[in-house]
Amino acid sequence: MFSEEIKNFKRLGFRHVLLQLLNFATVIASGLMIWKGLGLVTNSESPIVVVLSGSMEPAFYRGDLLFLTNPVNERYQTGDITVYKIPGADIPIVHRVLETHDDKKKDKQLLLTKGDNNYVDDLELYQGLQWLERKHIVGKVRGFLPYIGYVTIAMNDFPQLKYALLGGLGLLALIQRE
Amino acid sequence: MHSIFSRINNVSALLSSCMMALFAAIALSSFVFTADPKGDLGLLSVKVYPASGAKKAHSKQELAFVNFNVTADLRPLFHWNTKQLFVWVEAEFNNTKKSENAVAIWDRIIRRKDDANLKVSGKNKYMLRELTKSFKNAEPAHYTLKYNVMPYVGVLTYGEAARTNAPVEFPLVQKRV
Repeated sequence: MFSEEIKNFKRLGFRHVLLQLLNFATVIASGLMIWKGLGLVTNSESPIVVVLSGSMEPAFYRGDLLFLTNPVNERYQTGDITVYKIPGADIPIVHRVLETHDDKKKDKQLLLTKGDNNYVDDLELYQGLQWLERKHIVGKVRGFLPYIGYVTIAMNDFPQLKYALLGGLGLLALIQRE
Repeated sequence: MHSIFSRINNVSALLSSCMMALFAAIALSSFVFTADPKGDLGLLSVKVYPASGAKKAHSKQELAFVNFNVTADLRPLFHWNTKQLFVWVEAEFNNTKKSENAVAIWDRIIRRKDDANLKVSGKNKYMLRELTKSFKNAEPAHYTLKYNVMPYVGVLTYGEAARTNAPVEFPLVQKRV
């Protein structure tokens, strides 16, 4: 079945394999550079996130792609949609700011958030904290692309898909000649 | 190369670049629509009561209860890239030297243009409270009606549709009836 491909592979030789590996590494490295560069510009550890829960429906559905920024000297305001990560919780949460309280003595901004599709605020999600603070927040949602991120959810839900995709891409990269 | 892989590759590359160009065009087009509708926000009453919450975190503090009237025609905000509006009423007040507060007390999601002509007379859905747990040193509050336009694709925009003419004082705390 794959005899043709294997023959092809043998004909191309070792140098070709090395070249393709190098190409592959370039692709991965440039992807990483773009990601980290974006992170620097937006001051957010994760400038693009995929929505994982339905708590902001009908605004955001599972798989929607969100673009975040987190400017240092900009305060958060009610109505801003923030992505936050509580220490100890494993996934970041996308919810809207319901209350802001600037504590002038401690020079801190305290926040309370709520999902548009939830009936109660997020106090239960804060794992014992009374308020959310800047240090918990990954970024503010600025832009929105529907459903593009669903691939990553599908890959998480069905790990076989992930391995099939990675394996297939790797194989193609080795076999194909340009 | 005219192998099946390269054909698939070319077609999907073309498809995704066309999609991206289309998305970008739609996102940019919404900057053309610059509606700035204004409405009215009136306060009917403000009362302050001590909380009798069962939750420990919420007990021993004062809560304010607000009745308000909103009339605002937000229909101009709906254009072809508007998925929904999120509108909310917010109370903004300072506490002398201690804190600046902004609290959303009421909100609504509007998904259709027909529903965007707001005529609401309501009370606060969410707790209106102060950081120091008392309204004793709170300065008079401004109440505003704000909106967030959420697109099908593109940038989220915010605006203010109404504001109370003069700041409204918080009354003294009353005993719960």
